[in-house]
Amino acid sequence: MSLPLSLQSKNVFLATALIATASMALFSGSGAMAFPEYQQFVEKHSGRTANCSMCHTNDSGPTGNDAGQIGSLTEAKLKQLNEARAAFEPGQDVDNPILNKFGNAIVKKIGMKNVLQYRSDPEKLATALGGKDDLDGDGIADSREFLDGTDPLNASHGDPWLLFVHNFSRYRVHIALAVLSIGLLLYGFNKVIAALSSSMEKKK
Amino acid sequence: MIDSLLLIALPYVAIVVCIVGSVWRIRTQAFGLSALSSQFLESRKLLWGSLPWHIGIGLILAGHLIALFCPELWRSLLANPTILLVIESAGIGLACLSVVGLMVLFWRRLTSARIQAVTSVMDLVVLTLLLGQIVIGMIVALQYHWGAVWATTTATPYVWSLATLQPDVSFVADLPPLMKAHIVGAWLLILLIPFSRLIHIFTVPLEYLFRPPQKVVWTNPRHHEATAFLSDDEARRDFIKGMAALFVGGALLSVGALDKVFRFFFGPRLSPKEEAEIMGTRVKRLEATANEKKLELERQTSDYIFVAKLSELQAKEGKYFIDFAMCPALAFLDGNNLPNLISAKCTHLGCTVLNQVDSQGRILCPCHLSYFDIATGVPNAGAPAKEPLPHLPWAVMDESGKMVAHKSANGKIIGTAPAGNAESYSVFLAKHLAEESKA
Amino acid sequence: MSPISGLNDVVAFVSERFPVDKLNFHSMIEKKEVPIHKMTWGYYTGGLALLFLFVQVVTGLFLLFYYQPTVSDANLSVEYITKYVSCGALIRNMHAWSSSLMIFFTVVHLLTTFAMKAFDRPREITWVAGVCLLLITYGFGFTGYLLPWNQIAVNATKVGLQSVELIGTYLPGAIADLPRILKETFQGEASVGQATLGRFYAMHVVLLPLALFAVLGIHLLQVQLHGMSQGIDRAAQKSEKFFPLFILRDLSVWGVAFLILFVLALCLPFDSFVSFPLLEPYNALGATPPGIKPEWYFYFIYYPLELLPFWLILLLSNLLVAGLFLTPWIFRDTSRTTLGFLALLGTLYLIIMTIFGHNIYEIFKGGG
Repeated sequence: MSLPLSLQSKNVFLATALIATASMALFSGSGAMAFPEYQQFVEKHSGRTANCSMCHTNDSGPTGNDAGQIGSLTEAKLKQLNEARAAFEPGQDVDNPILNKFGNAIVKKIGMKNVLQYRSDPEKLATALGGKDDLDGDGIADSREFLDGTDPLNASHGDPWLLFVHNFSRYRVHIALAVLSIGLLLYGFNKVIAALSSSMEKKK
Repeated sequence: MIDSLLLIALPYVAIVVCIVGSVWRIRTQAFGLSALSSQFLESRKLLWGSLPWHIGIGLILAGHLIALFCPELWRSLLANPTILLVIESAGIGLACLSVVGLMVLFWRRLTSARIQAVTSVMDLVVLTLLLGQIVIGMIVALQYHWGAVWATTTATPYVWSLATLQPDVSFVADLPPLMKAHIVGAWLLILLIPFSRLIHIFTVPLEYLFRPPQKVVWTNPRHHEATAFLSDDEARRDFIKGMAALFVGGALLSVGALDKVFRFFFGPRLSPKEEAEIMGTRVKRLEATANEKKLELERQTSDYIFVAKLSELQAKEGKYFIDFAMCPALAFLDGNNLPNLISAKCTHLGCTVLNQVDSQGRILCPCHLSYFDIATGVPNAGAPAKEPLPHLPWAVMDESGKMVAHKSANGKIIGTAPAGNAESYSVFLAKHLAEESKA
Repeated sequence: MSPISGLNDVVAFVSERFPVDKLNFHSMIEKKEVPIHKMTWGYYTGGLALLFLFVQVVTGLFLLFYYQPTVSDANLSVEYITKYVSCGALIRNMHAWSSSLMIFFTVVHLLTTFAMKAFDRPREITWVAGVCLLLITYGFGFTGYLLPWNQIAVNATKVGLQSVELIGTYLPGAIADLPRILKETFQGEASVGQATLGRFYAMHVVLLPLALFAVLGIHLLQVQLHGMSQGIDRAAQKSEKFFPLFILRDLSVWGVAFLILFVLALCLPFDSFVSFPLLEPYNALGATPPGIKPEWYFYFIYYPLELLPFWLILLLSNLLVAGLFLTPWIFRDTSRTTLGFLALLGTLYLIIMTIFGHNIYEIFKGGG
């Protein structure tokens, strides 16, 4: 029997599996670094579904062999990962390959120590993040987006009402001009209708 | 020298002549204070010429006057780039409108025999001057952008210096010749007011917009029928007001829409970093698609598909893999430490079933909440899914490729769990076994 | 009935619906009058649907500049439009909002014309063409939903198409496999993939628009040929000229509608109502994320489908479509009061299912 393709993939798999176990050996417990507590909190608090990609590169979290997961990282990226994981205190610039911009921003803002600590009360994360940072510039603070279960890195995703209010004031000139032009058109139609109907009545 | 003559002497002469001449004319020829209507000589072209011309020039003059009398307000308004763009575009649009109107009027004056009879040389001079003035103004606006802004720091203080009798040419001395020509043209037109039909702008110009040029009515019923449309004041006023509003609103709306449309069509101008980011994502997606195609090819050409190491399989959490039909499937470890391969494509509507086994040994389809027993594949009673999830045939092989156990065609398991290190045994999805079981 | 008299009947029917002598500007435009009464607002609903159709055509054309219908690039090209192209987010949002509004006003138009008995002789063809337009509009919604190729799009399409296959279980032996074959022909391959995307794209961008314009042509021609229906049981006392007065009023309404659409599209991204995991690019190898749902305008059939047996819904929806097509003949002698009551019932059902469908679903299925 022939299994060339599958055997090949087997070897590749072996290599990645080795790297993965090696990296995990550095830290105790493979599941400990993924924080489902936050996801559960977000889903319960916001009523929206969420997944790991709010903070992680991969939507199924950091464990595994797919892109953006620990199993797929190169030697250099693994080093980066370990450095980032050691950023216990706030204020350190981190570039963790398994985290997205929001994830890295959280670590920089509050430090890994607090990330670990707030697992028991995820709402504290929002408080610690403060109300100023807004990575996607949609006018809704990252902490608010976390609580609302919306994407903090997508400017067209957020609490609909907050987005509407923010965009309304952001585009107020455009809206004012649109209102002006439509207002003029309505006035114009109105006057022309009045003129036409009165002259039609006259004709009768 | 020439500058002083044209930009200081001419204006004062023009203003003095205009005031004196107009007063004289108003006192001596009160009845002649009109545009000398020729409506009853030719009325159709008059409507199509006069209306656009007066709407266009009226609004443009209004803009000039705001910039002259409230430069501060004007500037703060134009600080917003969108408003600036809108005003500049509206200006060009209105200028085009007035040029079209003026051309129609000009054409009418040149071609209609009846009107030729009442046309003086002064009429032609005024029409030519107006046409030239507007065309020059348009060229200036197009050539030297944002004139609406820079005029408030050049032309406006210049006019004010004349008004306060402290003439200062330096404000406009460095302006391009075309702009100077535009200014000189304006003084010339003012100069000509008393001597031409332009005098009618003193007859309450605003009211003019909304009233018929002259209430000249034919007594002949045939003509009455033709001009009955909008012959009464009220309706005509409404009609003209309405058309003006429609035109301005429409122009504004078109400017806004065209702005959006052109910018969209123009596309983004990305920084190299953004370009690289997009390209990177694109390559990743292409790779993912290519990998999917590779999987498909592998399933078409191979008899055995590698699923996982036997040691990797768990009883409570399934490992996803892709079966021969390119559908998702799950691999679990059964009670005898042998694989249990089951399709993960829900038999209801084809969603992918989740891989976590609950306390009753079931996996859940998240779409419509069917629970499937992983041992039998049967859904719970009352679930939307009626058919069980099919089990898939498998083979366990050692490192040399020797089959130590497999699930046969009739679902019977042949062989037992290999003893020793589970690391060295691999689980394969088996195709020929699958086909046998179908047959 | 002899063949000759049968033929005569057909000729009579057609010539009453297509009065060739009225096929001129004078009787179709100049002479047309719009009755003024308490239901006059109903005459604007079709025009509004038409406005949103125009918006769809224009914004759709713009989206074509950048959209790429391949499984690897579709999602990225949509992201590119919203994120990088100037005004791209506005145009895409307008397309999304306008599609919803178009469907909304098409349905409102159907209900009002039903209540006003606008299908009464000789306007049967107007009505039947209108029902076709409604189905085509829904077709636009279904095919367009897939094109962004994100999780919710592909998974919802899968579910939708799979329902077709389910019909097979109710068919006897020989033709039981037919729905599955139909479905696979429709989606082009065994599961939703590149072939499906290509087909849906072609349908959304070429086939359905062609069909729509053809049927719309008949619909509008019929409307102009026969004029406005009287709309209420006792003929209205007053009326006004369709041209130019009603047209101008219609344009005013369009102005307001367009302003609302513009503000909505500018300020409220359509996607913000969906959970973000559902907006991620479709992952063929991953699990189906929870919360897959069709667009809101399918809720009226989606929630019943979740709650009731499939065969019942299948039967009811077939009856409904047949009923819609046969309305002019079924309700020929029904008074407008009764029709209004029926339309009100339909409206109530649609509102309740669309707004509270999820709550109803939770009540019955929450525990399971």
